[in-house]
Amino acid sequence: MSAARTIASSARRTLPFFFAAACIAVVWQLVVWVTHPDPSVLPTPRAVVVEFGHLVTNGELAADTAHSLARVFAAWLLSALVAVPLGLVMGSSQALDRVINPFVELLRPISPLAWIPLAILWFGIGELGKVFVVFIGSFFPILLNTIAGVKGVDPTLLNAGRVFGCDTRFTLFRRVVIPASMPAVVVGLRVAFGTGWAAIIAAELVAAQSGLGFLIANGMDVLRADEVVVGMIAIGVLGFLFDTFFRYLQGRFGHAS
Amino acid sequence: MQAARDIGKRLEIANLSKTYRSRSGETLQALGPVSVDVQAGEFLVVVGPSGCGKTTLLHLLAGFLEPTAGRILVGGEPISGPGIDRAVVFQSYALFPWLSVVENVEFGLRRKNPSARARREIAQSYLRLVGLQDFANKGVDELSGGMKQRVAIARAFAVEPSMLLMDEPFGALDALTRRLLQRELLRIWQEQKRTVVFITHSVIEALFLADRILLMTCRPGRIKGEWRIETQRPRDVTSDSLVAMEREIYSLLDEELAKTFAQEALPSPD
Repeated sequence: MSAARTIASSARRTLPFFFAAACIAVVWQLVVWVTHPDPSVLPTPRAVVVEFGHLVTNGELAADTAHSLARVFAAWLLSALVAVPLGLVMGSSQALDRVINPFVELLRPISPLAWIPLAILWFGIGELGKVFVVFIGSFFPILLNTIAGVKGVDPTLLNAGRVFGCDTRFTLFRRVVIPASMPAVVVGLRVAFGTGWAAIIAAELVAAQSGLGFLIANGMDVLRADEVVVGMIAIGVLGFLFDTFFRYLQGRFGHAS
Repeated sequence: MQAARDIGKRLEIANLSKTYRSRSGETLQALGPVSVDVQAGEFLVVVGPSGCGKTTLLHLLAGFLEPTAGRILVGGEPISGPGIDRAVVFQSYALFPWLSVVENVEFGLRRKNPSARARREIAQSYLRLVGLQDFANKGVDELSGGMKQRVAIARAFAVEPSMLLMDEPFGALDALTRRLLQRELLRIWQEQKRTVVFITHSVIEALFLADRILLMTCRPGRIKGEWRIETQRPRDVTSDSLVAMEREIYSLLDEELAKTFAQEALPSPD
């Protein structure tokens, strides 16, 4: 009974996504039928499925996915390690916030993509440059959400903390401010993974020998639109899956406050 | 569980006042001057119209605010900032949502009890006191409002404070839950006599709970009237003597409400 309900409710949630995917495929097929494009411009859905199978069996898709994910994870973790502590401190110290905030506001509008040329000049086309670009892309969402989380802590909770034994600023910070701002930090981490994922693809388009971005760029170079589309689908599906996973974490650990 | 422990302390409030200063330099006197002596173990209830400075008074006692003038002595000692000897029960419960029920009760025990095991045992015994022993490992968000406030009461009693400060603790609860919790609070307080300062705007609640009721004026909050209630608990608030007292309190309260109304009609000072 409850199992049936779980299945029914998960079907209700996932069905619209399958519907959307089917619509895209149908429209795509119709366009192919009506315009008869050259396969190097727009492949048929069928050609893409075949190419997908090909890239799966020869292991290329898995390898490229692994490369992209490894870069994003490394850079995202690195930016979390810097941005979360910095955000916690900026959120709780007005003086520090006043000093650091102008840097943030000046650098933030510069898209991570705009850093790609400098990243190549500084680090070449090795791993470091790509990690740098993703770092820039995921840093600000984490920082800003963390700051907002700290500033948004219910003042009554702070009072409760002070009454019940947090008699220094540091203990209050450790026992109340940090845990109370965690839901906002998790939101930041989720958003940052998305922006980081977008940034890695861009960085790999420009300068890489592997990764999903490279797969797409390579497909364009050799006029293989089917390969391009396979790469695009992989990027979309993975991005969606990770976002769903983070939303699940948010539901588990993002206590309502 | 434990024998009744009378560890409440005497509270002396002398010429206490609080004035807020806005950025433009205008001042607003929120409270006072107020002078009250509360005996050790006494249950004092403060009643007044909204915005009369009741909460300001409580925040001064808790140490969240610094008084502009006057002093507060607990057991003869001046207070400095918030402290575990003056536990607070908040209207909005103020439980820590990332902690389980029992961890919330344990929160304040860190200082006095280094042993995690001892902390857990004490917390469990106070949860038993409020009838929530079976909810120890639940998340706070799974509880109803009345249960949350019982956890908050357990958290406050668990630190064995000399005073309990209660800021309209039952104000957000429905009438029946409120009635239930008033009884529970009295039961626990009679078992472990703390000095209580309880803020409310419900006259009936004050009559049911208090050893002494203070009525405050509208801004700046001063003491307008004082009633001592000797009636045995549990009380019947429909008894002749308490109804007469209720009528008297309401007639004075109505004067203040009329003034509050007049104040609000004027341009606000901030």
